[in-house]
Amino acid sequence: MSAPKQPSQTPTLDLSRWRNVPNLMMGIGGAGALLGLIVNPTQFAHSWLLGFMFCLSLVMGALFLVIVHHLFDAGWSVPIRRFCEHIANLVFPWMVAFFVPIALFAPKLYSWMDIKDRAGHPALEAKYPLFTMGGFYLVSALCFAVWWWLAKGLRDASLEQDRTGAAECTHRMRRYAGGGIVLFAFTLTLAVILWMKGMMYEWFSTMYGVYYFAGSVWMTLGTVYLITMVLKRNGTLAAVLHEHQFYFIGSLMFAFTVFYAYIHFSQYFIIWNANVPEETFWYVLREQGTWWYVGMIIIFGHFFLPFLALLRIDLKLTFWWMTPICVWTWLMHYFDLSFNIMPTLHPDGFPLFWIWLDLACLALMVGLLTRAFLANFARHAPFPVKDPRLCEAMGLIAPCASPISGGEMDETDELADALPQTGAK
Amino acid sequence: MARASKTVNGVQLTAPPQELVREPLVANQRGLGWLSDAVAGISERPTPKWWWPAFLTSLGLMTVCFAMIAYLMSTGVGVWGLGHPVMWGWAIVNFVWWIGIGHAGTLISAILFLLRQRWRTAVNRAAEAMTIFAVMCAGIFPVIHVGRIWFAWWLFPIPNANSIWPQFRSPLMWDVFAVSTYFTVSLLFWYMGLIPDLAVMRDRAKTKLKKFAYGLFSLGWLGANRHWSNYEKAYLLLAGLSTPLVLSVHSIVSLDFSVSQLPGWHTTIFPPYFVAGAVFSGFGMVLTLLIPLRKMCGLEDVITMRHIELMCKVTLATGTIVGYAYGMEVFIAWYSGNPYEQFAFWNRAFGPYWWSYWIMLSCNVFIPQLFWFKKVRRNLAVVWVMSILVNVGMWFERFVIVVTSLNRDFLPANWGYYVPTWVDILTYVGTFGLFFTFFLLFLRFLPIVAIAEVKGVIPQADPHHPLGGAKPGAHH
Repeated sequence: MSAPKQPSQTPTLDLSRWRNVPNLMMGIGGAGALLGLIVNPTQFAHSWLLGFMFCLSLVMGALFLVIVHHLFDAGWSVPIRRFCEHIANLVFPWMVAFFVPIALFAPKLYSWMDIKDRAGHPALEAKYPLFTMGGFYLVSALCFAVWWWLAKGLRDASLEQDRTGAAECTHRMRRYAGGGIVLFAFTLTLAVILWMKGMMYEWFSTMYGVYYFAGSVWMTLGTVYLITMVLKRNGTLAAVLHEHQFYFIGSLMFAFTVFYAYIHFSQYFIIWNANVPEETFWYVLREQGTWWYVGMIIIFGHFFLPFLALLRIDLKLTFWWMTPICVWTWLMHYFDLSFNIMPTLHPDGFPLFWIWLDLACLALMVGLLTRAFLANFARHAPFPVKDPRLCEAMGLIAPCASPISGGEMDETDELADALPQTGAK
Repeated sequence: MARASKTVNGVQLTAPPQELVREPLVANQRGLGWLSDAVAGISERPTPKWWWPAFLTSLGLMTVCFAMIAYLMSTGVGVWGLGHPVMWGWAIVNFVWWIGIGHAGTLISAILFLLRQRWRTAVNRAAEAMTIFAVMCAGIFPVIHVGRIWFAWWLFPIPNANSIWPQFRSPLMWDVFAVSTYFTVSLLFWYMGLIPDLAVMRDRAKTKLKKFAYGLFSLGWLGANRHWSNYEKAYLLLAGLSTPLVLSVHSIVSLDFSVSQLPGWHTTIFPPYFVAGAVFSGFGMVLTLLIPLRKMCGLEDVITMRHIELMCKVTLATGTIVGYAYGMEVFIAWYSGNPYEQFAFWNRAFGPYWWSYWIMLSCNVFIPQLFWFKKVRRNLAVVWVMSILVNVGMWFERFVIVVTSLNRDFLPANWGYYVPTWVDILTYVGTFGLFFTFFLLFLRFLPIVAIAEVKGVIPQADPHHPLGGAKPGAHH
């Protein structure tokens, strides 16, 4: 295997002039969202849902990365785990708060809530009791409760290990991750079915939960790469980062680029080929007007472009190359969510006129989440300082007579000299 | 008990507690020379006593397989239990099952290579061999299923005298290309990985015939820097090529069912669900083969408990993904409100083949959950039994998909009950003979562990490691 190059070496990044950006986003976004609420509440509800699902993608993606870190007993991802824990913990109270407008405007989003004669709508009647007001709010609350419990439990144990260094904390996090992955899959699927698929309640696809998950993790990985890069360049994580963090995040981005395309293509192809009207209408609607072009943007922008851009190993380690790709993941995920959410309200094409409201709602949420994230990040150590795998993450041989593993030894020419063998038992 | 610590880059690093220290990939600090002796020695030593009975039994079963095929060809597919409404029976079940078994080999050799999972090196060679032999077994079934087997070559897009062109809109046609490409690339990948080890066998050979044979197939390998450089590039490229093939083969097999409109078959989650199921059954078979093999060949220090545990974890993960897919199928059958879909799943769980559904669910979802427990993962007898149950469960999964969806047609007048004949059963049993005949020959004549690759992951190969080769007095 060819030895990859070092990540770009640049002067320390000064972030002080960007410190007001979250406030600006909150101010401008808040004003825009308020204006949208006044002039067109239905459009506001849809734009808010889009922003909410976008932020939920990030929060759930981060929670997933923390869970799989523990499930796989990974070593390389220790330095990035802490900020992923903080992102996952934004679920409470922030994502719950962002859900309030959705709960209030639900009848504008979900046509089934307006149907009085359920017996006349067999597709709705079949979904009893899930698609009832009680079912909707109860399942939504259950999903938030599970996510909060998981995210909090994982971060609490991680912070406790910062203080004690106890192996028991690792074991506890693994237990959370073991049960958590099942709960995560179950609740995320239910949430996406209720909040997105439920906008066209007649339609069904067994793949839908996986589809949202694949796009969400892809976008989260782009965001995680950016945050890791910033934290390296401003010196916060410089001491513990090794180039393999960037290589592995880049590789995972590549894998999820392919995985998303595979999932979306499979869903489309199976529905198209069988040509059953109960299923095809969902895609037929998304081929009307400018939605067809959005579909093309997703095909080329969500798959072909990042696929080609992420193929080379050295480019995954090159910041100036990766930065626009990471930003691109946000744009593509926005289009993907819009493709799912907006056609119910705008069946004739992509609502270009209302894009300002989408962006305003998104800016308000992202601004608030950024503030909350930065506050949490500042309050605790920037990485799990006593994690037993930190040594591996730094590309060093563990200070005991055991070979490192998990992908580090093929970069032996950069390994520091071995630490002294354990003798202090 | 204090643990060793040191400050690096201003960060205080402490050795992990004993319970979290990773076990080495090769146990007992075995060195480079020991590895060559241990692996090459399996083929060099006199044939073990157990080998001949095993080989002759397999050969006998393989003969049964070919006898059944000859009987089928001479008589017609009526010798099988097929009949209205179940026109796809054991043959397709066995095809999908064997193809699935093959998936672990390419996953281990290609995907785990790209993900830099170094533990793969101890098990990839045997798993790849398993892949090739499993795909051979799988390939038999669709070919003999066409009825007039002598026209099977029409499946290939060869312009012929009748101007007949294959029907490219049929997923069965896609299978031809997917499976044949997969087999070709897997074979090439396996053979290429063997070259450095064949050269080791050549250099250690004591007879002229062995020297000639290993020499011929090692293609003049000298271990020169240029050879290794080309080898590693080719390995990376083939891994990159094989990775989409792993996913595409079983995805395309899933399309055989899902592009139809039949309740129980037409569902969008089929491609990833089939791939996860294939990896699940493949790892089941790797465990079934390697647990006794490591003991019989004295390779406990190479295929360690850590490897067994990791494979159990992959099995657990994929089994749980399969469980998610089963759940989604049932959930969406309810959610869709489609009465035919709902009936299909009701029929699976409580219809005439209810027992097959519950065997499937128990073996594929419930039993693998025991792998959450370390004690279970480290108990070889339990793991071995569970690995067999995984394969039983996955065979029943394909049976459930194929037979229970067909046996209850839309009209009750078209209902039927499928029962396999003795020809169905003996053909399937015979493919085990084919599989094990090739596998036993592989064990006898080729290095069953990738010697060069395992050497690359032991600390002795790392000049920076305390045990590294560059230091005086290091182990060799």
